Amino acid sequence: MKTTPQGCQSRLPDNTALKQQQLPAYRLQLSATGVLSGFFATGVFCLGVGIILILSAKSIKEIEINYTKICANCAKLRENAVNFDKECTCSIPFHIPETMQGNVYMYYKLYGFYQNLYGYILSRSNSQLLGTDVKDVGSCAPFRESHNGTPIAPCGAIANSIFNDTIILSYNLNSSIHIKVPMLRSGITWWTDKYVKFRNPSSNNLSSAFAGTTKPPYWPKPVYELDEEDPGNNGFINDDFIVWMRTAAFPTFKKLYRRLSRTQCFIEGLPAVTRFRGEKSVVLSTLTWSGGRSLFLGLAYTVTGAVTWLATFSMMAAHLMLKERKMFFSQQ
Amino acid sequence: MDCSLVRTLVRRYCAGEENWVDSRTIYVGHREPPPGADAYIPQRYPDNRIVSSKYTFWNFIPKNLFEQFRRIANFYFLIIFLVQLIIDTPTSPVTSGLPLFFVITVTAIKQGYEDWLRHKADNAMNQCSVHFIQHGKLVRKQSRKLRVGDIVMVKEDETFPCDLVFLSSSRGDGTCHVTTASLDGESSHKTHYAVQDTKGFHTEEDIDGLHATIECEQPQPDLYKFVGRINVYNDLNDPVVRPLGSENLLLRGATLKNTEKIFGVAIYTGMETKMALNYQSKSQKRSAVEKSMNVFLIVYLCILISKALINTVLKYVWQSEPFRDEPWYNQKTESERQRNLFLRAFTDFLAFMVLFNYIIPVSMYVTVEMQKFFGSYFITWDEEMFDEDTGEGPVVNTSDLNEELGQVEYVFTDKTGTLTENNMEFKECCIEGHVYVPHAVCNGQVLPDASGIDMIDSSPGVSGREREELFFRAICLCHTIQVKDDDEVDGPRKSPDSGKSCVYISSSPDEVALVEGVQRLGFTFLRLKNNYMEILNRDNAIERFELLEILSFDSVRRRMSVIVKSATGEIYLFCKGADSSIFPQVIEGRVDQIRARVEHSAVEGLRTLCVAYKRLIQEEYEGVRKLLQAAKMALQDREKKLAEAYEQIEKDLILLGATAVEDRLQEKAADTIEALQKAGIKVWVLTGDKMETAAATCYACKLFRRNTQLLELTTKKIEEQSLHDVLFELSKTVLRCSGGLTRDNFSGLSADVHDYGLIIDGAALSLIMKPQEDGSSSNYREVFLEICRNCSAVLCCRMAPLQKAQVHAPCPLSLASDWGIVKLIKLSKEHPITLAIGDGANDVSMILEAHVGVGVVGKEGRQAARNSDYAIPKFKHLKKMLLVHGHLYYVRISELVQYFFYKNVCFIFPQFLYQFFCGFSQQTLYDTAYLTLYNISFTSLPILLYSLVEQHVGIDTLRRDPSLYRDVTKNALLRWRVFIYWTFLGVFDALVFFFGAYFMFENTTVTSNGQIFGNWTFGTLVFTVMVFTVTLKLALDTHYWTWMNHFVLWGSLLFYVAFSLLWGGVVWPFLSYQRMYYVFIQMLSSGPAWLAIVLLITVSLLPDVLKKVLCQQLWPSATERAQNTCVRWQDHLPELTPLASLQSLHPSAAWPGSHSEQVTSLCWESKEHEAPAHGARLSLSRRHPSWKPCFGGPPSGDG
Repeated sequence: MKTTPQGCQSRLPDNTALKQQQLPAYRLQLSATGVLSGFFATGVFCLGVGIILILSAKSIKEIEINYTKICANCAKLRENAVNFDKECTCSIPFHIPETMQGNVYMYYKLYGFYQNLYGYILSRSNSQLLGTDVKDVGSCAPFRESHNGTPIAPCGAIANSIFNDTIILSYNLNSSIHIKVPMLRSGITWWTDKYVKFRNPSSNNLSSAFAGTTKPPYWPKPVYELDEEDPGNNGFINDDFIVWMRTAAFPTFKKLYRRLSRTQCFIEGLPAVTRFRGEKSVVLSTLTWSGGRSLFLGLAYTVTGAVTWLATFSMMAAHLMLKERKMFFSQQ
Repeated sequence: MDCSLVRTLVRRYCAGEENWVDSRTIYVGHREPPPGADAYIPQRYPDNRIVSSKYTFWNFIPKNLFEQFRRIANFYFLIIFLVQLIIDTPTSPVTSGLPLFFVITVTAIKQGYEDWLRHKADNAMNQCSVHFIQHGKLVRKQSRKLRVGDIVMVKEDETFPCDLVFLSSSRGDGTCHVTTASLDGESSHKTHYAVQDTKGFHTEEDIDGLHATIECEQPQPDLYKFVGRINVYNDLNDPVVRPLGSENLLLRGATLKNTEKIFGVAIYTGMETKMALNYQSKSQKRSAVEKSMNVFLIVYLCILISKALINTVLKYVWQSEPFRDEPWYNQKTESERQRNLFLRAFTDFLAFMVLFNYIIPVSMYVTVEMQKFFGSYFITWDEEMFDEDTGEGPVVNTSDLNEELGQVEYVFTDKTGTLTENNMEFKECCIEGHVYVPHAVCNGQVLPDASGIDMIDSSPGVSGREREELFFRAICLCHTIQVKDDDEVDGPRKSPDSGKSCVYISSSPDEVALVEGVQRLGFTFLRLKNNYMEILNRDNAIERFELLEILSFDSVRRRMSVIVKSATGEIYLFCKGADSSIFPQVIEGRVDQIRARVEHSAVEGLRTLCVAYKRLIQEEYEGVRKLLQAAKMALQDREKKLAEAYEQIEKDLILLGATAVEDRLQEKAADTIEALQKAGIKVWVLTGDKMETAAATCYACKLFRRNTQLLELTTKKIEEQSLHDVLFELSKTVLRCSGGLTRDNFSGLSADVHDYGLIIDGAALSLIMKPQEDGSSSNYREVFLEICRNCSAVLCCRMAPLQKAQVHAPCPLSLASDWGIVKLIKLSKEHPITLAIGDGANDVSMILEAHVGVGVVGKEGRQAARNSDYAIPKFKHLKKMLLVHGHLYYVRISELVQYFFYKNVCFIFPQFLYQFFCGFSQQTLYDTAYLTLYNISFTSLPILLYSLVEQHVGIDTLRRDPSLYRDVTKNALLRWRVFIYWTFLGVFDALVFFFGAYFMFENTTVTSNGQIFGNWTFGTLVFTVMVFTVTLKLALDTHYWTWMNHFVLWGSLLFYVAFSLLWGGVVWPFLSYQRMYYVFIQMLSSGPAWLAIVLLITVSLLPDVLKKVLCQQLWPSATERAQNTCVRWQDHLPELTPLASLQSLHPSAAWPGSHSEQVTSLCWESKEHEAPAHGARLSLSRRHPSWKPCFGGPPSGDG
């Protein structure tokens, strides 16, 4: 409490701008000019961005090959749980009408697969995936342990349901010569996921690190044998595994499978589709700075810009009309 | 309290047996009565402990928790918290438990502290020592140990420790003086009388020998009523029975004055004293905003429940297909499969409730409380509301009602001391038709000699001079003033010339003014000593008069008299009173001239009194004395007999003259009332004055203006016609104009079309309110209310206490009339918000009853200020408090409430939508940290700051243009329409966030390196857009950008970004999941995400901006026009001078916005692109769809 020189005046409130509610302030005023020009500028911006987006999205080439029906026999085979590790191959020839320039990305796309179920998302063990405690399966119900009580690694419903179709792209030069298109497995995960969030338990030998655990019930192979070609891509840091573990937001989702530089394709793989009654397809797509081939953002921008302009012009019309009438009155 | 409860029970069950419970027998000094009298029945009474605290140490926690959880909101949060604890929910119990715990703890600490203070005060009171007599000796004991029947000794200036029957005093005549300032606010000294038969007991031994029993009624709260009987047992004689009345009763809380000591016997102790029974805790007042908030809460609760229900039902519909109920990739555990279906459904329902519970946030309550608490400081801090003269500033006793100040429709004001200064000044006197005006006193300089008088007309002759002196002596003698020689008086009522070191004390400021005025004319009242009144006459000689009798003032008789004997042995009766009560008793004197003068003075707003005298010869006096003695000794109907005796004595008087005292208006009272009326507030003045005086004051303070058509509803008029006729005639007059008008929401305006003022007096009012045999009273009441609604100003001349009692149930400590009027209006069918303002103890009931009670820190003590919600030093401060503070508070808090609901709709609705895409599995859209912090930190501070400092219109504009107040009355910003608009805006925004992000994510890659995003990125994108949108929405609503707004608004956005970066940037070891790791940063690394954020924010804000701009251009309200008015012009606008407002006749009065509109249109002409003036006219017709000009309406252009 400040004391003022005169004792009797001490109850006089301080004369500060804050206490007297007299702080210097800028008063926001919606003037007609300001509003109209603001709207106009917004419209210009939106239209501009929208058109650019649409144009860039148009330049993207995308091919989707739905293999649900064609590979139905494989799915039927897989329906019987006994046959889960039997090989089944089906191939789909297709034609690429236009040249796909630049980097081509191969996605697998699932329809009606709910990766966002509450129990599903929770069913994973982060301490296990971080490599700190392989046997920590506490939050993994219902896939915590095998029937004999061995902890599952990686445990949980997400890991258990991993997408394990193998997709191979071949270039058919003619009916007899197939050239396998080289595919890159790297770079399909977030860098932080691959190097921070997912770690293998520390041990010289990967298989010994996972000793005392068992593979998830739906997996044909244990986690340390996921990639036979690249031993560094095994265990929890396997790219396909990491991609799968990032749960999708919606039941229809795409996940990045491979990157490749040239075109043509051949498919081999055995997905168990019918069990989840969804569909599966492979998507080949090029990308630009604005992502994939979707007109949504561009259209939304364009429409917003158009609506804003419409509003601007109608407001201006109303404004001018009213002003005219006001002049009329003031002349009277 | 417990004892009284027990007694009530006992009374109920033993009612048939005996009547003893209705009275109590007290054995004075605990001495048993001699045998033969009634049997000694020891009765149990409570001890003398006063308990005002609510809790004890032991019951604090359970009782306090119970009280807190009785609030519906707290209970709701508790339930949610418990549900989260019990069932498996997607959100952690911490998210709702922590805020709730915080709120409960802070409240408990605050209440505990307050109760501790009460305990301390109680203890101090209970432990102060009391003298009492035990076995003939004086003993000191703690106050709380006092028991009924103890004989207590009280010394001067001590407070009575309990209710006592007055036995004897140190004064010979068995009287004592008492002030009851702390009980009813009256600071005057009252005389109480000892019991006749015991007044001789002066020493402890004597009093110990007293052998008596007292029978009296059981305690009741009426301070002025007491009935009892004392039996004094003398040696072997039959007991002497004496009646006891309230004059024998000394109340706890009163203070002994001017008496050395007294003895009394305790009859009511502790919580049974009249003071304790009158102690009523102030009932909690709730503001209209709080009520609407509760209604909105219920709406949201319904929305919440229906959302949860919908989701539960849909979930089971969706799961009816087994592959959806349990897909192969998400199998259930064994225990889940075995759970009962209904139990599962119920758990799901609860889980959905918990998921969506954030729609009703705890933080809203905290923010509202904080806003009210901190906001109230702006009143306290306001320099303009600080009164330099008294050194008093405004006091806020409750911060719950801040916004109610912006909603007031009726102001009830006391006149004396509130509108006026209650600083009476002797203006003039009229003796025998000659008018005397004392020289103006300048700076307290008084000219004591006769030259101080200005004669208006010719000098009187010698006999006139005699009369003149007699008149002055009469004024000097006929009063009940006490003289205090030292300055120790409670209250600043000092004589202006403090050099003379004598201070007059009286309950009536008029008397003081008169005696001081006469002092200026040469006659000084010195003192009353041993029944001799001493006055100093013009020749500086002391005259002594023996005071024989005082015929005290009462408000029925409206006069008082003294009978004095001069030194020469002549006996005079001097009588002073209202003209209406003096003139009928007068037989001689220049009645007509004086009457004319009195009327003239009254019209000028002066308070007039007439003075008359009569000379009594000794025999006559003897007769008078006997008459009075007989009346005073009467056991029954004492009051009535005294009144009859007075009536007999005060007749055949000779009129001497009249006095006029001015009670000056407070500064700027007129300006304030005018501003209030312009703001559409109806002002009622309640006064005890004469109708003419009051009316003159009302004219002076612009309550009535020249063009006001006065309607009178007075006793005089009712005597001429029947009440029925008068009422219906008046209502016809009033409604003639507004008849075709639907008096829907703007009654204030229709009153302005033709200004009506109503004058009503107490008797008429009581007739209207009196229940009729045929039950038609409600009919009269309706008609009366109808008339009142159409009058912009009402003047109530107060009724006499007797009439008051007829009308209303007795209410302790109150003048029932004010209370009744306030209640009448408050409960009328439109439920308008009322404000009562007063300064005296008599206004307390009115202050307590009205929605908002304002106390003026006045001369009549602080009783009103203590009981009020707000206390201000002067009436003029009401203007700023209502028009500026109230208006701002209301705008702020209504935005706060609406915004809170809006931002939580935005928050929760996407969550609801997401359930449709995740199989109704209760998956949250946002991370737990976001769920918890959204209301606590990301969006809390901007709105809190907004609700503290926002000024949608500048303070100067608000003060200058009172009509802006009309824009917010009737809870305008919290109407259903506005609420629904905000809710739909919230839903729209939520749809934009959710589906915008949905279409972004669906079916495409949003990065340029092909990597994909998961569900947490989706949630984070929605959340980011949402935080930015709701914050920017507030930014668009902010009209007053101080550096703090910039700091908090941009700061909280920055905080959100910084928090998200940090939250996602580190692998937090204490978290069992790392789901947010790098999610935010990855999102920001994607170009389309940026574009989407910008687009979605723009799209969500666009409609609101568009709506605002269009409304402002096409149908601007007065407030919006004021916002756009260029400040430059307003600065040059002169303040309205009173003269100008007097001249403002019908056309402008008919068009309340006209003034500001004129300003605006001029401004528009100077500015090219402003909204056109035509909007003003549009707005008017919008507000009053069926508005038809009665006469002198606005120029009918295009209508």
